[in-house]
Amino acid sequence: MMEFISSTFTSYVALVPVTLSQSLILAFVVLGIMIPFRTLHFPDLTSEGAYPLGGCICGILIAAGVNPALAIVAALACGFIAGCCTAFIHLRFRIHTLLAGILMMTMLYSINLRIMGKSNLSIFGSDTVYNWAPFVTPGFPVSKIIIAGIIGAAVFLILNWFFKTEKGTALRAVGSNPAMAEAQGISVWVSTIVGVGLASAFSATSGALMVQSQGFADVNMGLGILINGLAALMIGEAVVGKKSVFRQLLAPFVGAIIYYQLVSLCLAAGMPPPDLKLATGLFVLAMLALPTLKRRRGAGGAPAHEKFRE
Amino acid sequence: MLEIRSARKTFYAGQPDEKVALDNLDLTLQTGEFGVVIGSNGAGKSTMLNAVSGALSLDSGAILINGDDVTATPVHKRATRIARVFQDPMLGTAASMTVAENMLLAELRSTKRTLARGLNAQRLANYKERLSVLGLGLENRLDTKVELLSGGQRQSLSLIMAVGGSPDLLLLDEHTAALDPRTADLVMQATVRAVDSLKLTTLMVTHNMQHAVDFGHRVIMLDAGKVKLQIGGEEKANVTVAKLVDHFAVKTDAMMLGA
Repeated sequence: MMEFISSTFTSYVALVPVTLSQSLILAFVVLGIMIPFRTLHFPDLTSEGAYPLGGCICGILIAAGVNPALAIVAALACGFIAGCCTAFIHLRFRIHTLLAGILMMTMLYSINLRIMGKSNLSIFGSDTVYNWAPFVTPGFPVSKIIIAGIIGAAVFLILNWFFKTEKGTALRAVGSNPAMAEAQGISVWVSTIVGVGLASAFSATSGALMVQSQGFADVNMGLGILINGLAALMIGEAVVGKKSVFRQLLAPFVGAIIYYQLVSLCLAAGMPPPDLKLATGLFVLAMLALPTLKRRRGAGGAPAHEKFRE
Repeated sequence: MLEIRSARKTFYAGQPDEKVALDNLDLTLQTGEFGVVIGSNGAGKSTMLNAVSGALSLDSGAILINGDDVTATPVHKRATRIARVFQDPMLGTAASMTVAENMLLAELRSTKRTLARGLNAQRLANYKERLSVLGLGLENRLDTKVELLSGGQRQSLSLIMAVGGSPDLLLLDEHTAALDPRTADLVMQATVRAVDSLKLTTLMVTHNMQHAVDFGHRVIMLDAGKVKLQIGGEEKANVTVAKLVDHFAVKTDAMMLGA
């Protein structure tokens, strides 16, 4: 038993830097999930398609010799457009947000394949943004931690500032009460489209950063990313809370870091990787079910007409 | 000034349950005038208010505010000139945001929102002052989320938000109906003070006949999508609840309101 614990611990510690770099990169997807789910009350699945979209765009551009920073910007822009499309589908055709997201994600799969021309593209050995990290040897996890950390901190600060500006307050109002926002002169259309677009832009950025980190792009790289992101978001919110703009924005970053360390710990303890999605799914289910389980026994489940948890 | 010109709105047109909600309705409200709208359920009061605010588009007819035709203007653009307090206290405020943030949203109703910091010290001081008029202690709860306030407090906040910035037109949609009598009275007093001191052009829908008698310059009674009766000036000053109730067409309505 002691031997198991010590071997688990050793392999876990060895993985900490790699896991940390990964979680800082994936924190952007969690951010891209948090904004629609929490700020806009627009439960959205586009990230599952926007993440590989960003990866594919970045992959093909880097393979063509484009500057890696520019490749990230291009991925971000394409992700933004994808998010705008989802929001537009919902607003214009009155299709449920989840269905609009599934439609977009399904269509993006074909688009991603079209962009790359094949399902997998290696960019191993190409110049990446991680080679620009100061003071460290390129290629090591530390360089990724530094670069992803800097971008993450910048995005966090910008959003924390933006959500407190006049425009940002208006955006949050649309999520809080659309009818009221409209009566206060705020265009629900513009705010929703820009907000969801912004979220997908972050998901795509994450995909681009991941492709540069792992050295290849793959059309299937988004599989299950949404549930991972939701799990991370819930952990983050449980730890730092969501009572203020600052905390709500911090939650994705904190959550991503803790969640991927937990995953790494499970893997180090010998959990077979194929079981990971089941475990994550059960975790998210448990987090969502918690409020109903806490209810007095005998009350018996949720009333049929209660609002669904998102 | 508000003008509604031969407004027509039919729900479920061509279906068995077709309903004419507005039947070539004409109504003019002078600048600074306080009109009180009464009528039985289904008379078209809410439809009229929704048509004026832009939440509902007319089949035909026109709506003019200070002479400008706004018939085709969407809700959020009309909001630069129209402020509205809803019947449901939950509708008029953003629950998950703070009192100060709600005040900010209302302040920005008629201006272009910028990338400047929303809540600055000057604004907070101003909100404090405006909320203190209510005497509900809201001025000390600027950072409280609105969802923690009572219905009466939320409705009072909605009112202060609506009258700020002197809108061209104030719409009050049975805004005291969901409140207990004492709170309803408080909100109504605050409404009258604000409307009087700011000389706001106001359209108030109410089911409370006493309110219709006590407040406003003119009583407008709707029936079957038309203006059935208007009482203004001298006559309005002498009207009683009993007289108003007599005008209700449907017997059951008259009985209920009289009781």
